[in-house]
Amino acid sequence: MGKIFDPEFMIRSFPEVLQALPTTLFIAFVSGVIGLVIAFIISFIRYANIKILSPLAKVYISFIRGTPDLVQIMLVYYGIPLFLKAINEKFGTSFDVNGVPSIAFAIIALAINAGAYMSETMRSSLLAVDSGQLEACYSVNMTRFQALRKVIIPQTIGIAIPPLSNSLISLIKETSLVFTISIVDIMAQAKIVGARSFRFFEIYIVVSIIYWVVCAVVAFALSKVEVYARRYERKVDS
Amino acid sequence: MIQLENITKSYKKNHVLNNINLTISKGEVVTLIGPSGAGKTTLLRLLNWLEVPDSGKITVADAAIDAAKYTKHDVRNLRGQSSMVFQHYNLFKNRTVLENVADSLIVVSKMKKKDAFEKAEALLKKVGMSDKLLDYPANLSGGQQQRVGIARALAVDPKVMLFDEPTSALDPEWVGEILHLIKEIAAQGMTMILVSHEMRFVRSVATRIIFLEHGELVEDSNPKDLFEKSKNVRTQAFLQKLTYEEE
Repeated sequence: MGKIFDPEFMIRSFPEVLQALPTTLFIAFVSGVIGLVIAFIISFIRYANIKILSPLAKVYISFIRGTPDLVQIMLVYYGIPLFLKAINEKFGTSFDVNGVPSIAFAIIALAINAGAYMSETMRSSLLAVDSGQLEACYSVNMTRFQALRKVIIPQTIGIAIPPLSNSLISLIKETSLVFTISIVDIMAQAKIVGARSFRFFEIYIVVSIIYWVVCAVVAFALSKVEVYARRYERKVDS
Repeated sequence: MIQLENITKSYKKNHVLNNINLTISKGEVVTLIGPSGAGKTTLLRLLNWLEVPDSGKITVADAAIDAAKYTKHDVRNLRGQSSMVFQHYNLFKNRTVLENVADSLIVVSKMKKKDAFEKAEALLKKVGMSDKLLDYPANLSGGQQQRVGIARALAVDPKVMLFDEPTSALDPEWVGEILHLIKEIAAQGMTMILVSHEMRFVRSVATRIIFLEHGELVEDSNPKDLFEKSKNVRTQAFLQKLTYEEE
């Protein structure tokens, strides 16, 4: 009979699981950046209440919030090849339907997901900027665009960073779902190592520690960014 | 200089301004007084198009705009004529004192950065804020913020300056110096419209006083006549209330 719990195995497994960390980080980073771009666009569509686009944006956000992340990944994974096939048939193009790397599906799905959540954060942060700031811009004859660029958006970022960092951390954790579309991230790597040794509990402890450290580092870095973005605010001594 | 023709403004069913007609000449210092809800601030904000009238025509210096039909260009043209000093200062929170004043010069007037900062510095010196150029508004007292607000409004070389209760958010000790500053600017011939409750100040600086109530111009007179000889019942009632408060 072996040990019930094998800490040595745990420590030995770290390097092997960590081999897949770049994949996890890559997916999280790229989908995070694309998600932010989506969030910017969507939040402005809603902030400026652009006809037709604004209600569409609402539907998009509602759909993403109302469906599980795993289902969204599956929809993208099975949907995009069909979409490409349809385009090939309709326009005579020759996209390689089976050649799209799985990681692209993962990034697309997670970016669309993160974009929806972050756009709500961005929109509420835009609305949280005091209306007097915009009036002051107008009173010295700035255009709306100039006001947004110089005054409103910089203040929005300061307000948005704490909730955005929550979204980013959720995103890092959501990457653990991509093993379902046969991407070897740290979660999949852990399953492989665990299956070989039948020490699943230990290996999941290893994975959870890695996620924890990564998320803690990201949270710390973003808190520094927040301090910078809000440098103009009065400090309250506590 | 300024002309309002048949200006009407309401919020839902609440009529704030009722068919206002008004002409103001260059160099006049006009103070709007009246009970709260009379439409003073709304009237002031219309001139900067921070409020859009339901109907009527506004002319400020070289710009004219008709509420029935106007373009973005008309709005910018109108806003280019005047600048506003706000009750709550509304300084750009994320910009330093210097940037608050220089931003419009760089962004709107397309001035070179160096020239804009020089002009901003000179204006800030004029309002006594040279030693706080790199501070953020949050680190300034109310009086200091309002001085920066005045410098920012002066920077765009307005033909008309609009003051919306510039001292009512200030601690009493700062009121005097801000009023003094406004008086100095008035003495240089600037056309001004103020909303103020500082009656003694109003009396000393205004060349003309307009008493508004329920969105109507009740009385339009010079300070001496209005304060001492007004025959209008509504004006008398309002002034009486004020004297009572001052006692």
